[in-house]
Amino acid sequence: MKKILVSTALLAGVLSYAGGFRVSLQGVKQLAMAHTSAHAEDASVAFFNPAGMSFIPSKLSIVAGAFGASNKVTFQNLNTLQSTQTDNPMGTPLYAAITYKPIEKLSVGFSFTTPFGSTIEWPNDWEGKEMVQKLELKSFYFQPMVSYKFNDWLAFGASYIYARGQVDWDKAITQFGGQINIKDKKATGHGFGFGFYFRPDPKLDVSIAYRSPVDMKAKHGTATFEFPSASIYPLLGLDAAKRTDGFTATLPLVEEYTIGLTYKITPKWLVSADFNYHGWERYSQLTLDFATAPIGNQADPTVSVSPKNFRNSKTFRLGTQYAFTNMIYGRLGAYYDESPYSDDHFIPETPSFNTYVVTGGVGFKLKQFGVDVAGGYAMPQSRNVNNANLGFYGQAKATAFYLGLGLSYNPF
Amino acid sequence: MKKIIISTFAISALLFTTSCEDDFDTDVKDIPVTAGEANFSKYVSLGNSLTSGYRDNALYIDGQNESYPSMIAQQMKLAGGGEFKQPLMADNLGGIPSAGIPNKKILAVVAGSLAPVDAPGTGTTTLANIYSAGPYQNMGVPGAKVAHLLAPGYGNPAGLPATANPYFVRFASSSSTSVVADALAQNPTFLSLWIGNNDVLGYATSGGDGSNPITPVDGSVGVGFNSTYTALVNTLFPNGTTRKGIVANIPNVTSIPFFTRVPYNPIPPERFNTAPTGSPSNQNANIDALNTQVFGPLKQILTALGQGSRIQLLSKTQGNLVLLKDESLTNLSAQITTALVSAGVPVQQAGLMGQLYGQARHSTDQDLIPLTTSSVLGTTPSSPLAIAPFDKYGTTYPLEDKHVLRGKFNGVNGEVEEVLTATAAFNATIKSVADSKNLAFVDMNAKMIELNSKSGIVWNGVRYTATFVTGGTFSLDGVHLTGRGYAVVANEFIKAINAKYKSTLPQVDPNKYSGVKFP
Repeated sequence: MKKILVSTALLAGVLSYAGGFRVSLQGVKQLAMAHTSAHAEDASVAFFNPAGMSFIPSKLSIVAGAFGASNKVTFQNLNTLQSTQTDNPMGTPLYAAITYKPIEKLSVGFSFTTPFGSTIEWPNDWEGKEMVQKLELKSFYFQPMVSYKFNDWLAFGASYIYARGQVDWDKAITQFGGQINIKDKKATGHGFGFGFYFRPDPKLDVSIAYRSPVDMKAKHGTATFEFPSASIYPLLGLDAAKRTDGFTATLPLVEEYTIGLTYKITPKWLVSADFNYHGWERYSQLTLDFATAPIGNQADPTVSVSPKNFRNSKTFRLGTQYAFTNMIYGRLGAYYDESPYSDDHFIPETPSFNTYVVTGGVGFKLKQFGVDVAGGYAMPQSRNVNNANLGFYGQAKATAFYLGLGLSYNPF
Repeated sequence: MKKIIISTFAISALLFTTSCEDDFDTDVKDIPVTAGEANFSKYVSLGNSLTSGYRDNALYIDGQNESYPSMIAQQMKLAGGGEFKQPLMADNLGGIPSAGIPNKKILAVVAGSLAPVDAPGTGTTTLANIYSAGPYQNMGVPGAKVAHLLAPGYGNPAGLPATANPYFVRFASSSSTSVVADALAQNPTFLSLWIGNNDVLGYATSGGDGSNPITPVDGSVGVGFNSTYTALVNTLFPNGTTRKGIVANIPNVTSIPFFTRVPYNPIPPERFNTAPTGSPSNQNANIDALNTQVFGPLKQILTALGQGSRIQLLSKTQGNLVLLKDESLTNLSAQITTALVSAGVPVQQAGLMGQLYGQARHSTDQDLIPLTTSSVLGTTPSSPLAIAPFDKYGTTYPLEDKHVLRGKFNGVNGEVEEVLTATAAFNATIKSVADSKNLAFVDMNAKMIELNSKSGIVWNGVRYTATFVTGGTFSLDGVHLTGRGYAVVANEFIKAINAKYKSTLPQVDPNKYSGVKFP
């Protein structure tokens, strides 16, 4: 008992720092339990760990779900006493997965998810309009996968990731009273994932998984410039008749290491814990390489580099499920998600906070069908904004909540 | 096990609830704006063009509305500040035809590229006195030096142009009053004073040609800077007064685009191409000819006289230096003429070259070329000596004193050093007087140097620099600021006021004000 108390206290000590544009909404059941991973009940495990497919009790499993994610960010400038709130639209992450066991030892599956994304919309004329007015980032992961079950207690699975992405970013060019839009609807990237799933004891599930980084490459982007007067275009080396330029950029979608445990305390009651480690350090800068416009800040004037200085971050998750009957399940959870950057690297296009999230949900099982609902309430910790590189100072806070509805079908 | 897990949950829940600080400690809406130890009920600002809101080489309504004192007054209103009236011009052209004051500059597309030109139209502002609609709290008078603020009759129309100022003529309470007298008559509770720039700037912008000398540091009130500035501040803040205020120092001229825009080597080799459009360039042939016939022999003669560094040969690949007359050099006219004659040059031409190049030298990176000089480079001066090929201003005909602010040459200090030395002396006085009167002080010199640095000043992602036109802070005259530049200034004043008087005036958002307008 003492030991556990100590470790909990230690854990709390580590929790002084914290997501980026990672979206932890890939399974409604999982979200209800703090988005923990060691649950091999249906195909939704596929995204979390391909090896988990081998422990799904049915031969064929199909899942799908959708979320509504709402969030609002407020920035206040203590020097000018201005306060600004975002007007973000509701985010709607989706997921679907199917797994099948052609033979006992082998499982194949396919998962579709939206693991990274962010839509932020500040008022068009807000004080930080030069950095962002609106930014929409979307990613779609298509993952075929396979898992091999070595024995009763061990499986190994691996997946290939084909990713598609979109970026749509509006920001002001204050000095010339204009605006730039950066858009690419056809960014692509590749990655992989693999994992081990253990069940050393019927009461214990252990999931160890790795998902590789994906470099989302925008190769045919369009930068569209809008200025109030035509004389500005040539001043910036732009063709006044065309007003657009091409650009290339790479946005890193980062790797994730996960260790998850689920322990069945009683046949009706289980608890789960997860630890995630996210490799955000790869997002050290954003480079926009324009085709011809010399509006950059490098020796090659068509290249613009903005420092981002993200750092690796961790997430701690704790969830539980209780089976009231064979048909009704109640779930609870809480997690802590670390922001991948410090106060002096706060950027308004992807605002991020150390966040505590409480989750809950209920599930209904009707023979082969399952219906699950989940909700999450996030408590992002308000923080100081101290970005000297952007001259951006003040305080930021946020609110967020999630709702999810998931369906599962395990016919045989 | 069960118990332990339950208690872990309980502890975690407790940790969540106790460590959650998801709201701001204080919402900005609840932060009161206070005057602290100051009283902002009657704020009057004194100064020159920079205080009046002058920009783009003129004073006009939109610029006045974005003057830094007006911005400060807006913020003071949040802490009990009163009305702040400005002697607005009649229009947005800024010209005063009856006083010979031209319209503001605007950007226009000239021969395919952007250039500042005088705005077309006729200004409607007159010298008619508008005091009856005053008094005015922005008492910035374009062109004023320190002594002018104390001078009686500075607003007397009869004194124009020698002893009066057309801008003060417009809003003076009487023909005999002074700027200071009119300011004090309003019984201000708070004063700002940014003066002294013209005591050195006028000399600098006139290329140090002597038409507008630097105010001497020493001398009696009305003559020397130190005593005049001290008397001015003593008058505004007499012993025993409860009046509070702020003073600002003077920026180095080397940090403003008027002197940094044009490089010391501004003449591209292409400028030597005299071939008509469509025919092959004769640029290199012309450069070779000038080098063999003029600059080569000249350099040879000067080298023999131990003065070879005065002249450099023209380059075909890099920007070329300007040729200028440097009065501080020994006049070698006779020696040059004699040497040329003995080398076989016809007597008349040798005489002309001797006359032209006796004190001529090429520019170095120490010289500052005023923005206004770029319009005369390459033109033909109206002088009987300007005979081809010696008829191109700045290349074959030396620029006169007024066109260059000469820097150090051959180890001898030039006009640039004079200006910097005077500025440093004036700033030392300003600081010590501010300290002795226990006034707030704002180091505008340091801020302008920061603005002139490569990294500039960044505000909410917008990078401001002192770069002409594209830097965002300097207006088209290269000396005065844009609304955004004045906002940067206003914030420096506000920070210094808050620091000194424990007030909490909010800063302004520079990005919200206007920059350079594009055609």
